[in-house]
Amino acid sequence: MSSAMSSGVLGQYDTLHGTVDAIEKLRAAGHTDLEVFSPIPSPEIEEAMDIHSSPVGLWALIGGITGCLTGLLLTSGTSLGYPLVTQGKPIVSFPPFIIFMFELTVLLTGIFGLVALLVHTKRPVIKLDPSYRASFSVDRWGVFVAADDGSRAEAEQLVRETGALDIEVQS
Amino acid sequence: MATAEVEVHAPKTLAEANYDITRPISKPNKRFFMILGVAMAGVGLMFGAWFYQIGKGIGVAGITHPVFWGVYITTFVFWVGIAHSGTLISAILYLFRSGWRTTINRTAEAMTIFAVMTAGLFPLIHLGRVWYFYYLMPYPSQRQIWPDFRSPLVMDVFAVSTYLTISALFWYTGLIPDFAVLRDRAKGLPYKIYGALSLGWQGTVNEWRHYRRIYLYMAGIATPLVLSVHSVVSWDFALSIVPGWHSTIFAPYFVAGAIFSGVAMVITLMIPLRWAFGLEAYITKNHFENMAKLILLTSTIVGFSYATEFFLAYYSADPIELESFRWRALGAYALPFWVMVFCNVVVPQALWLRKIRRSLPALFALTIFVNIGMWYERFVIIVTSLAHEYEPGSWGLYTPSWVELSILVGSFCWFFFWFLLFSRSLPTISIAEVKEHLAHEQGGHHE
Repeated sequence: MSSAMSSGVLGQYDTLHGTVDAIEKLRAAGHTDLEVFSPIPSPEIEEAMDIHSSPVGLWALIGGITGCLTGLLLTSGTSLGYPLVTQGKPIVSFPPFIIFMFELTVLLTGIFGLVALLVHTKRPVIKLDPSYRASFSVDRWGVFVAADDGSRAEAEQLVRETGALDIEVQS
Repeated sequence: MATAEVEVHAPKTLAEANYDITRPISKPNKRFFMILGVAMAGVGLMFGAWFYQIGKGIGVAGITHPVFWGVYITTFVFWVGIAHSGTLISAILYLFRSGWRTTINRTAEAMTIFAVMTAGLFPLIHLGRVWYFYYLMPYPSQRQIWPDFRSPLVMDVFAVSTYLTISALFWYTGLIPDFAVLRDRAKGLPYKIYGALSLGWQGTVNEWRHYRRIYLYMAGIATPLVLSVHSVVSWDFALSIVPGWHSTIFAPYFVAGAIFSGVAMVITLMIPLRWAFGLEAYITKNHFENMAKLILLTSTIVGFSYATEFFLAYYSADPIELESFRWRALGAYALPFWVMVFCNVVVPQALWLRKIRRSLPALFALTIFVNIGMWYERFVIIVTSLAHEYEPGSWGLYTPSWVELSILVGSFCWFFFWFLLFSRSLPTISIAEVKEHLAHEQGGHHE
């Protein structure tokens, strides 16, 4: 979720363990609309958020297949388009063409993968999320709980109970 | 007595790691500009010599019948080889979950990119008429001439350019979270530059989940790529019928040699970098020892390959092949051959001693020998084979001209120029990965 348009409570933590505990408690209390900021990649946080997969692998696979077919079409197509026999070999000679298919498979897998990362993270963006703090790239973890006027006080109390070091209420 | 390593103050907190790694990225001092100036002078020498060659024609280089591949192609293969360790350390060791790669992968990846950028110049320089370089690209031109996809030279164009692109993407992907760190500590123009490079990264759980996967997939595809690139380079030689080149062992032999020279160059660069930036707590002697073991392993593979080449020549009972290898060891280029054997096979044997593997001055000196030896290896393979082919009437010797030697020296300066810029403007160690290890070491792991 993005908290750009939301109001709620932002809690800051100084350990991964504390952050994971906080996420679990908040989710158990029914607050599932969370945004979590972390200075490090963490499978533990993903698990606590019940996130298990990413579609970028599919993009990479599509890129790989596209690259492989492009390599096949490029080599075979150009060889057939200008059929020059060299070294007595067939016009469409697969053994050397496999190299081009492989190289283009790798190339497009990587490019599609990076594009997938940008698409699914909705990057690049110019303005940072209002809940983002510079300390989140240093040594702090942030958990933003989206809450409306009615539930904000309860959310704040819950975040306080999870042991957050700093608490900010955003309305 | 406490060792230097015990005296080193290891980072205790994530903030400390952040500070230590980003500290060198500051306004450079006079000494930095002096070193950069020397590198730029070398780059000037290289481009000056190249422009002179363009103006006068390829005849100013020493390459002529029968040795049409000389210093330019030797240096091309050398730099492609140097480029291998970066992806090896980043990708293969990542897949094997070798934790020791964490503090050296960024620099090794940077080295890869700059080495490929250097290597890429040489086919262009070697062309002579560089403005025809686009003949190698497959596009529908009015000439109706297409690249021959059965030629290893065209394979090489695809392999090296794919390697450069994927290495750059892999490097950049790894840098995105670190750009956010730099953005958050910067102001003014640097804030805007690092902000743009970070793409607005905020470390949200959604960003990290896609990031972790794509980094893994990139490591997965880069692993076969790293093995393929130098195999393809080796086929530039092995697919010909030149005695001394036409051999099936070339692909693994070249890959091992590439890793050997690449890791040696990483050590050559890391030792002064670690000292200059005070990164002793991050790049420890254990890292150097592990890399030294990799050098020892690949040195034995390379040495075995040298011996196998001679054995195959003997076992084939082909007089041309036999004469080619006899001449390689005892002919006009015997000195380069024995320099190669000494530097690549004899000197690395010192690494059996733990004391040497953990001595940075000894390792630095040893890797310089390896760098020299591996350049000579390519020279020996290329020049001795072409100079002494089938017909005695077509034998001949090759001496590099001052133009070729200037471009060779300048290529090192070009490589170091980019490396110097990198070391001052980007984190030389992956901040996110170091902090990840630190967070888990500090008991951050959730049970």
